[in-house]
Amino acid sequence: MPPLRVFLWPLTLLHLLTVALAANTETFNERLSLNSLQDGKVAAKFTFTTLLKDGKPRDPRLLEREDESQHFTIFPLALGQILRQYGVTELHLNLNAGKWNYDVWGSPEEKGVGTGGELWAWLADGANTSIDERWKGLRNALAGLFCASLGSLDELRTTIPSRAFSPEGSLPHWDLPHHIRHGSLPSENVCTENLTPFLKLLPCKSLSGIASLLNPHRLFDADWHGMGVHVLWREDEGIEVRLTFQSVFDPLRFSNGRIQDWSLKSLFNRQVERACPVAESSEILVGLPHAIYSIKPEPSSIRHKSAVFDVNTLEKPLDVSLHWRNPFQYPLVYATPSTPISIRRTLTGSSQAWGQLSVAVTNNREDPLSIIYLETMPWLVQFFLHTLETRIDGALVDNVISNLTYTLPIPHSRPTTLQMLLTLPPKKTVYLTMEVTKAFLRYTEHPPDAERGWDLPPAIFTPVRFDNDTVVPLSDERMYSSVLLADLATPDFSMPYNVIMFTCSLIAFVFGTIHNALTRKLVVVPLTDDKAKENEKNTEGS
Amino acid sequence: MLERLNTKQSSSLASSTLPNLPLTLLALGSLKIWIALTDVYDALKRSQELSSPMSSYSQLQEGIYLFEHGINPYSGGSVRHSPLLLSLFTTLFPKSRRAASVFWALSDVLGAWILVQIWRARQNVKGGWRDTLVAASYLLNPYLFLPSLALSTSTLENTLILATILLACRGRAAPSLLLLAFSTHLSLNSLVILIPVVLLLLSDPHSHLASPQPSKATLKRIGALIGTFVFYIFVLGSISTLVVNNLSWIPQTWGATLTLPDLQPNTGLWWYFFTEMFDHFRPFFLMVFTTHLLIYVAPISIKFQYDPLYATFILLGILGTFKPYATLSDPGLFFSMIAIFPEIYSYLRHPIVTALLHLHAGLLMPLFNHIWLSQGTGNANFFYATTLVFACANAAGLVDCIWAGMRLAIGQSGDKFEVVQE
Repeated sequence: MPPLRVFLWPLTLLHLLTVALAANTETFNERLSLNSLQDGKVAAKFTFTTLLKDGKPRDPRLLEREDESQHFTIFPLALGQILRQYGVTELHLNLNAGKWNYDVWGSPEEKGVGTGGELWAWLADGANTSIDERWKGLRNALAGLFCASLGSLDELRTTIPSRAFSPEGSLPHWDLPHHIRHGSLPSENVCTENLTPFLKLLPCKSLSGIASLLNPHRLFDADWHGMGVHVLWREDEGIEVRLTFQSVFDPLRFSNGRIQDWSLKSLFNRQVERACPVAESSEILVGLPHAIYSIKPEPSSIRHKSAVFDVNTLEKPLDVSLHWRNPFQYPLVYATPSTPISIRRTLTGSSQAWGQLSVAVTNNREDPLSIIYLETMPWLVQFFLHTLETRIDGALVDNVISNLTYTLPIPHSRPTTLQMLLTLPPKKTVYLTMEVTKAFLRYTEHPPDAERGWDLPPAIFTPVRFDNDTVVPLSDERMYSSVLLADLATPDFSMPYNVIMFTCSLIAFVFGTIHNALTRKLVVVPLTDDKAKENEKNTEGS
Repeated sequence: MLERLNTKQSSSLASSTLPNLPLTLLALGSLKIWIALTDVYDALKRSQELSSPMSSYSQLQEGIYLFEHGINPYSGGSVRHSPLLLSLFTTLFPKSRRAASVFWALSDVLGAWILVQIWRARQNVKGGWRDTLVAASYLLNPYLFLPSLALSTSTLENTLILATILLACRGRAAPSLLLLAFSTHLSLNSLVILIPVVLLLLSDPHSHLASPQPSKATLKRIGALIGTFVFYIFVLGSISTLVVNNLSWIPQTWGATLTLPDLQPNTGLWWYFFTEMFDHFRPFFLMVFTTHLLIYVAPISIKFQYDPLYATFILLGILGTFKPYATLSDPGLFFSMIAIFPEIYSYLRHPIVTALLHLHAGLLMPLFNHIWLSQGTGNANFFYATTLVFACANAAGLVDCIWAGMRLAIGQSGDKFEVVQE
């Protein structure tokens, strides 16, 4: 077939050309930053950024039509397909284990550090399928992709906290309203089975470049660890996928004595053997300490008190190490927290039927601060808003809370969403207390190991900026409180048949007795002599 | 003859020793207000035997708070009180806790006064030494006293039901049916006493237990009165809708009675049954339990058609035993009402057993609730077992009263005869 062959060559060329062009429209950058913390720990943060230049989120009005073909070379295909399938504009997924200690560790580089799983997405309305259906599809698809129990982020956990969150990127000008869906799953922890699919989304997997340091044995051994997947659209750039992994290592734990020295080898048990060829930039940033130290090898450059190592150009295998001259001294008093506020949240009360939620928020700054306090709670803990009290220095105050919005819980389905604006006076602690009731669940609603209790999601505190009387949340600075454990009353799980039998028997007995008494005639029966005598005897006896 | 003389003597003795009615109401009422003004409310407000989600004062306050802050209280499941109650408490009724305590105590005193009036209407007397006993049986009944201290709205509902009955005894159809519609609006289960109240309106409150005769009420007149009742229900529902601005209050208040979304323990039989129920059978058994409440209406109304006040009393006993979200005040109303039917006392077969069962359940119920939910040393079955005993106690009283009410017609049997059922 000579005529066909004539076309084949130009077609192949054209194909190669488009692939090459596509490659040019995608960039991949990776970065590892390592910072020593004041308690001797080391915070490591991996960031892998893929930018799809001039990419646009899918218009939800076109969801019914067949999607235009997408050519991804570096951009993770599995994720891209999910995003296009459900018309997701912006997506954030965090899976964390442990409690981020804001007061000592300061603000994390990646802000989503709430314990457990957290997923939120911005979706535009206007499709034939409702936002909630697409949100359901999205979380199930992500659950499959990341091997996480995100499927349990169902309507029992989904909230719409529109005031506390703002999109990180930009929203397309479709003249369609964008809505947020948010869900947290505090009992979900991150582990190896989540990291493996995470690595698969990277162009070099964990074979080369900085990603090769992602050693699950070490990462999941760390005091705190969490991974994040962030997809957003930047108007003048394109779609950005940011995959992050944060962990807090404790070199002092492994050292004999108080040596806080670390190296890539000691932290990850790996070195960078080769560079990732598709990475446009690949750098390791080491925050330089204030003490006397030595760092090896020689950094490529110094930037903002950080040593920068360019993995692409430095000699391989690359092992960065930091050595202190003096042994580590545990600080007797930690420096004033660098975060604007400090949060403590507890659920008090020993009863399984009620309790009290108390939140203490300290303003660490010298000037007043406005923050949005977001509390999302599954329906099984219900607030008594009329008991909400705020105290400063033990005295009741009423000018702290303003702008309160409240979505009531629906038993067995919708969670509570409580958002309020707190105005914190400088250098003061505000105590909020509120009585709560704990629900009594059906026996099928209890999870396995029901006596363990229910994990309640963290509260989120977002500082705000006032823009011509509109309150703009600064999502970049949000902080998470610790999670809570609610002890709920349990029925006897072995008893369903017995209870049904006991109750039904009692009801049947009463029903029978009453209807028997009502339907049968009363008659007077003359007693036989024996019985009459017996009766007489009885009356005499008494 | 001698016996009669004795009773006369004892009654004259009693009339000289017992204080008269106003004095009793004043004394017991002020005692009640005095106790209510202490902090006993804080100790009792969370007691699940005294107030259910449908009647708890905390939930009422939450509803008022949300209502005043422009949040629809019925957009979720936190508030189960009627919108009428919310609007009354935001306008007419006291909002502070202490004022509410006094209000509740006064409602109880009013209830006692109404019960005495019902007693007088039944006996066709203007007063007497028994008034004091009847008032005391209402005001000193622990099943009514404690819920009133816990500010359970069932206290107000009881007073409403008694007022309904009194007005029905006096033949005032419109106000009686309006109050019944109001108490049905607050708690859907009160619908059960509609038929006997209508029959009561069409006859008289005097005791006919000893001389049964067919009711003279015609279906046409019954239908007219039921029509009035339905009209009032509709009016009250419309006002509620106006208050809330939409129909969302219906599933949250009436719907909750039918679907039992809140499984908080109470003295009734429903909560643990539906906690342990298999999910696919839940709707069926909800239907069965709801129908079960209605199934007694016809037989009891027909059997006691000659004495509709007695039929009302029996049906209140059914409610106290079997209603969803039952609290102590529901059987409390039934047992206090026994005071106005002294003619049945000599025919009760096992009053001691009933009393002992109540003693057993009444003592163990708070204890087992505490060791299950607060102490953690017992489990749910402990409390469930006491609610079963409590249901047995209520059922024993109920069955005994039904028997005695029918047995009365035969009279004393003597030694040579015995009364049995065919």
